[in-house]
Amino acid sequence: MSGGHHHDHGSGHHGHEPALHGHHHEPGFIGKYIFSVDHKVIGVQYTVTALVFLLVGFTMMLIMRWQLARPGEAVPLIGSLLSQLGITHAQTGALTNEGYNMLGAMHGTIMVFLGVVPLAVGGFGNYVMPLQIGAKDMAFPKLNMMSYWVYLSGGIVMMASFWANGGAAQSGWTSYPPLANTALSGQTWWLVGMVLLITSSLLGSVNFIVTIMHLRAKGLSMWRLPFFVWAQFVTAFLLLLAFPPLEAAGVMQLMDRVAGTSFFMPEGLIVGDKPTEWTGGGSPLLWQHLFWFLAHPEVYVLILPAMGIVGEIIANNTRKPLWGYTTLVYSIIFLGFMSFIVWAHHMYMTGMGTALSTFFQATTMIISVPSVIILTCFIISLYGARIRYNTPMLFALAFLPMFAIGGLTGLPLGLAASDIHLHDTYYVIGHFHYVVAPGTIIALFAGIYYWFPKVTGRRMSEFLGKLHFWPTLIGMNMVFGPMFFVGIVGVQRRLWTQTDYQLGQLTQYWVVFSSVGAAVLGLGQIPFILNFFGSIFAGRKAAQNAWEATTLEWVAAPSPPPHGNFLADPVVVCGPYEYSVPGSPKDYCPQCQTSEA
Amino acid sequence: MSLLAQTQPMYWLPPDYSTHGWQIDQLINWIHVFMAVLFAGWGVFFARCLVKYRYRANPTALYEPIKAKASKVIEAAVVVIEVVLLVAFAIPVLAEYKNDPPKPEDNPFEVHVVAQQFAWNIHYPGPDGKFGKRNAKLVSDANGNPLGLDRDGDPDAKDDIVANNELHLPVGRPVIVKLTSKDVIHSFSVPMLRVKQDTVPGMEIPVWFTVKEGTSSDAIRETMIRTVSVPPAGQNPRDFVMWCTNNIAVEDIKGADGTVIVGKGREPSAEHVEALQKAGIGEIRVAPRHPVEIHCTQLCGITHYKMRGFVILMPPDEFEAWYAEQAAGGDEFIEE
Repeated sequence: MSGGHHHDHGSGHHGHEPALHGHHHEPGFIGKYIFSVDHKVIGVQYTVTALVFLLVGFTMMLIMRWQLARPGEAVPLIGSLLSQLGITHAQTGALTNEGYNMLGAMHGTIMVFLGVVPLAVGGFGNYVMPLQIGAKDMAFPKLNMMSYWVYLSGGIVMMASFWANGGAAQSGWTSYPPLANTALSGQTWWLVGMVLLITSSLLGSVNFIVTIMHLRAKGLSMWRLPFFVWAQFVTAFLLLLAFPPLEAAGVMQLMDRVAGTSFFMPEGLIVGDKPTEWTGGGSPLLWQHLFWFLAHPEVYVLILPAMGIVGEIIANNTRKPLWGYTTLVYSIIFLGFMSFIVWAHHMYMTGMGTALSTFFQATTMIISVPSVIILTCFIISLYGARIRYNTPMLFALAFLPMFAIGGLTGLPLGLAASDIHLHDTYYVIGHFHYVVAPGTIIALFAGIYYWFPKVTGRRMSEFLGKLHFWPTLIGMNMVFGPMFFVGIVGVQRRLWTQTDYQLGQLTQYWVVFSSVGAAVLGLGQIPFILNFFGSIFAGRKAAQNAWEATTLEWVAAPSPPPHGNFLADPVVVCGPYEYSVPGSPKDYCPQCQTSEA
Repeated sequence: MSLLAQTQPMYWLPPDYSTHGWQIDQLINWIHVFMAVLFAGWGVFFARCLVKYRYRANPTALYEPIKAKASKVIEAAVVVIEVVLLVAFAIPVLAEYKNDPPKPEDNPFEVHVVAQQFAWNIHYPGPDGKFGKRNAKLVSDANGNPLGLDRDGDPDAKDDIVANNELHLPVGRPVIVKLTSKDVIHSFSVPMLRVKQDTVPGMEIPVWFTVKEGTSSDAIRETMIRTVSVPPAGQNPRDFVMWCTNNIAVEDIKGADGTVIVGKGREPSAEHVEALQKAGIGEIRVAPRHPVEIHCTQLCGITHYKMRGFVILMPPDEFEAWYAEQAAGGDEFIEE
């Protein structure tokens, strides 16, 4: 779609470079900004789309938090507007319990599949990874474009489901049958949306793997790859291997709903005092196995790119090599491998026997070890450093204790005996949000501040950046910290209100506190939005190597990089983090010789 | 902020009235000690680096990697502690609890719980100790037969007792609860007995536990008495209503002229607020009607949040009397 006249510039020493890849002409407006095959444009498309979805998912969370703190009271500002979608009562403007379940299911789905993964992989991976390996583009640019448009279609289907008969999906982001099978039509839309999103991720993952394997610059051996590229590499394998089972499961659930199959439906179900039409013979637990076989590796799809970003920023702003680079790489490979054999720790309460639960408890404890190692490597990297406290570094540093909390609180959930009390309580919500929000999303913010000068040629405001950082950090901890205490008291998740329950009443003060935190967090995003858009046009001009970094995207490509990325082909001469080399005139040694064009 | 002021909060694990729960609690507590130590260790080193190695304080960064022997020691310690938690606590606790059902000579009391959207159907076998067969074809909530018992044709079903949302149990005697569901997956959770098990349609899954001897719902209620402020005139009574939901007055609440505004054992509600204000009563004392609650911890549909049941704990003799009384009542559907 970017015009058919490919003319090969004949550059490049890459023996494997596909013919498709040689076109560096400037396409027209539509080809350049909309149906672009350029990895950078696609990366920006992913980033902007994912940020919009993150804002949508966040707004849903604000509405839910309002309801939890003020059960049954009108949602401020937009309460009456939402009644058209059946989310709020037409008369009172308060969130309905159906509306709460819709927002709950869609918040989870949007944040994971439409927000964080597309931003971390589609956005950062697409934009930064080819630059860091010295490639002119992805291996399959058209596949890359297709993966974005399939993703966007999936997102549109998901959002359109709010207008379906009975509203959007209400069965949680996990969509357990039989509930999901018996749910209204929004669930069908959800499944179609999921199939599209999974397809998009699969297309992307193949592209990433091939690109990293084949399009590295001369001299860039695997052991000279920036940690971020390694993280994207392992992530791509997780996507490739974990998503197909869920894609199959999604189609099976779709068939259960529309074609009368009974993959997940047992015999003799009576719903709403009426026998159901399914013939039975299926297993509801089969879905859970298939779902979690994806969804546990998915946790690492969320966290690995975040770790990659944090690694880059810590090395750059400590002005010293990342401590334990090799260990870090082996750790994430091991994490990736282990993430495929821990899934049933989400299912201890399904009636699993002790032999099976012993296996999954053991693997769960084992998988915590590389996480501990990664965190320890990052923290030791600070020793003897010369730390620059700029905005990206603040976010990257905040990631460390936040991820530590998220990781550690996984331990009592990973042991079946302690899980008896904590399973499906707010403790779980606190745990995975610490991993994903103060963990991954904080790291993604770090990445936005760090690579913004590369993408736009301008810097974001440091003042507004810090004005964004502190309320974000404080707000997130206010929202998620109390959840551990609500959960340990024993309050279950996914309640429209917990105030009918004794234990809920005794912890409601924490719920109110969380909601205040959500408001702080919401206000804290205003400086970011202003900074993001304002800096595109009015930010201070940035030098090509804005952070005096070592990796190729900074030393070999202009800001912003042109179509084709590099003015001259980079030849890599050293590892990725040669900072403060003794005897060197500057405190960093670029990874390639054709520096600072 | 009135909401915060009225609260008598609970900060950590709720009270436990089961005989096995202490082991779960002990495991949870030890893991948190381990987590806190590890986090504090990281935190101290982290904070020290942030201060000591700030840009201005340190003119050159260290290029050579430090020999961090400490990190290897820490990692080894983490592995050892996790192995200990797993092998010495988690696996044996679970095995003891799950692999060791009550034996017949312990005289366990067996009861079936059939979950549905959005209620817990309790099925007692009645005096004959035999459960009637549940027939899906006979199930009809509308006809008062939520379990599908054949009262006429099935001799075992004749004396069965069926209850809704209220599970009466004797204390000090092993209990086996067999769980299943009519429609979707629910989860039977009693936090104050440290019991949780999904109810999966098409499967019957047992859980077992023993409630500590010497306790009872009445005794537990005494420990959960709380004071609730009556809102001043003109203020939204929402907090008052929340604090009184499913709670009962522990004594007669009387006005100045001696008229009873809220009787002992009744639930105070929004309609009492005005009378309480007029009588100049600033605070009332309430306690949970049934302090031990059954939660559904698996999202089960539209009114999942209302799927609440109660476990009513009774001393054995009281329970026997109650059970005989229910059996005499025949096939009456027990309403709350």
